Amino acid sequence: MNAGARFVLEDVRVAYGSCIALDGIDLEIESGEAVALVGPSGAGKTTLLGLLNGTVRPDRGTVAVDEYNLGELSAAALRRVRADIGFIHQDLALVPNVRVLQNVLHGRLGRMSIFDAVRAATFPPRRAVAEVYEILDRVGIGEKLYEPVRRLSGGQRQRVAIARALYQRPCALLADEPVSSVDPARARDSVALLVEICRERQLTLCMSLHNLDLAREFFPRLIGIRAGRIVFDRSSALHDRDFDALYDLCAEEEVS
Amino acid sequence: MSERVATGWLPPPPMRVSVRGVIVALLVAAAIVSAIYLHLGPGTLVPGLAGRHAAGEFFVRALSPAAHYESEVMPGTPPLLVTALRAAGMTVVIAASAMSLSLVIGLLLAFAASNAWWIGEPAGAQTLWIRLLRRSVAPAVYAAARVIMALMRSTHELLWAVLFLAAFGLSHTSAVLAIAIPFGGTLGKVFSEMIDEAPRDAAQALRAAGASPLQVFFFGLFPRAFPDLCAYAFYRFECSLRASAVLGFFGFPTLGYYIAASFENLHYGEVWTYLYTLIALVLVVDVWSGGLRRRLMA
Repeated sequence: MNAGARFVLEDVRVAYGSCIALDGIDLEIESGEAVALVGPSGAGKTTLLGLLNGTVRPDRGTVAVDEYNLGELSAAALRRVRADIGFIHQDLALVPNVRVLQNVLHGRLGRMSIFDAVRAATFPPRRAVAEVYEILDRVGIGEKLYEPVRRLSGGQRQRVAIARALYQRPCALLADEPVSSVDPARARDSVALLVEICRERQLTLCMSLHNLDLAREFFPRLIGIRAGRIVFDRSSALHDRDFDALYDLCAEEEVS
Repeated sequence: MSERVATGWLPPPPMRVSVRGVIVALLVAAAIVSAIYLHLGPGTLVPGLAGRHAAGEFFVRALSPAAHYESEVMPGTPPLLVTALRAAGMTVVIAASAMSLSLVIGLLLAFAASNAWWIGEPAGAQTLWIRLLRRSVAPAVYAAARVIMALMRSTHELLWAVLFLAAFGLSHTSAVLAIAIPFGGTLGKVFSEMIDEAPRDAAQALRAAGASPLQVFFFGLFPRAFPDLCAYAFYRFECSLRASAVLGFFGFPTLGYYIAASFENLHYGEVWTYLYTLIALVLVVDVWSGGLRRRLMA
């Protein structure tokens, strides 16, 4: 896949048992676009992100990444597509008792044979270490290269998760509430960094965010989701009314 | 301080006696019945006169372990402390060999008997081969490994020793295998459960980045569980030291052999010398493992 993957969802529905997580989703995310998903908890943002990298399978409809229809791929082909898509998890999902270097190297496991993987875990080639260092330096924690992740602060761990996704050399980055566990200043820094890096490398970025202000400040396009449906899909330059509506919807959700 | 709550209608509490409650009650009843059947009670703790004398003599010597043999020995016999150290060395060597072997067995079994690495594997449009692997091969291997581990564990190391003594005679191989087999089974079971219970977030992330099931196991699950595995392996090493010492009762030249011999000759001072050596061994392992755990966690 080329840098800047393009995602197309057509009439997608996802149900977990009798609970419908997403329904009637039609969505196109263009190559190199930066999109924020906003909406109350339980609206279906995480499920939507899972659809985009094929970890969630739709019960109806199709999900396509560039020319690949994810529903038609074999397990191995799906793994190759996933290797091209970076995913930053809400809980960061790092291995705490392993060094930063190894955690970042894990990003490219999808493209390594088991022997290369063992080598990376034990005596990583100099070239790989240099590349990891360059990425860590870019996200501002170059000096933590050999530090075990368990000794890092929350903000630093977040940078490791970003670095791991970047080391994947992805065509697109998906991020699920990546800043929910850090303070507002750090959250702003991290979102700014991610948006900037994606612009530099022309990566498609799709991030779910609780913080509407951050979403409006950094993302040209916002998609509001509530109860499994897209309630708006607008440029963030538009009128406040849309966002007030989402707040109202959030309030309504909490009451019910 | 608190205001009175209006006592209107309340939802009725669930009346059903829970299954768990019944089981706990049955277990408590079983314990009481067993104790009565065995005539357990404080009264049985009072020894007879002869017993009191023997026990007193034995425990008094705890304060004065022997530094030399308590009777004439054959000329050329090494001094008591040298014998104790040699026996301790033999105990460690057998325990360490058995532990190494059981670690290999345990890790292999743990891999086969954990399911976190294949059960969460998301489906693609699956090929027949992948479907076969997930639906039949992996579950069959999993079940087989569980059964093998149960068989290995269900027989105590002393009973394995009896079997191997019959097969190989009083060789070191018998002693090592007798410990390694039940320990391998236990390690496999506990390791596999630790791996399956470790947080799966990292595994999920690796999967999302396209890692294969094997890579998920080795880089997402195993390192997550590693500190726990280490701590448990050390605890088992401590157990294997004790097992190795006790195997001496069958004639293997570990501490148990000398303890049994001295005990039979009523040389309680010597018995205590050997016992203290064993305690020292266990303490050394404990301190070592404590230090390692701190380093792994810090």
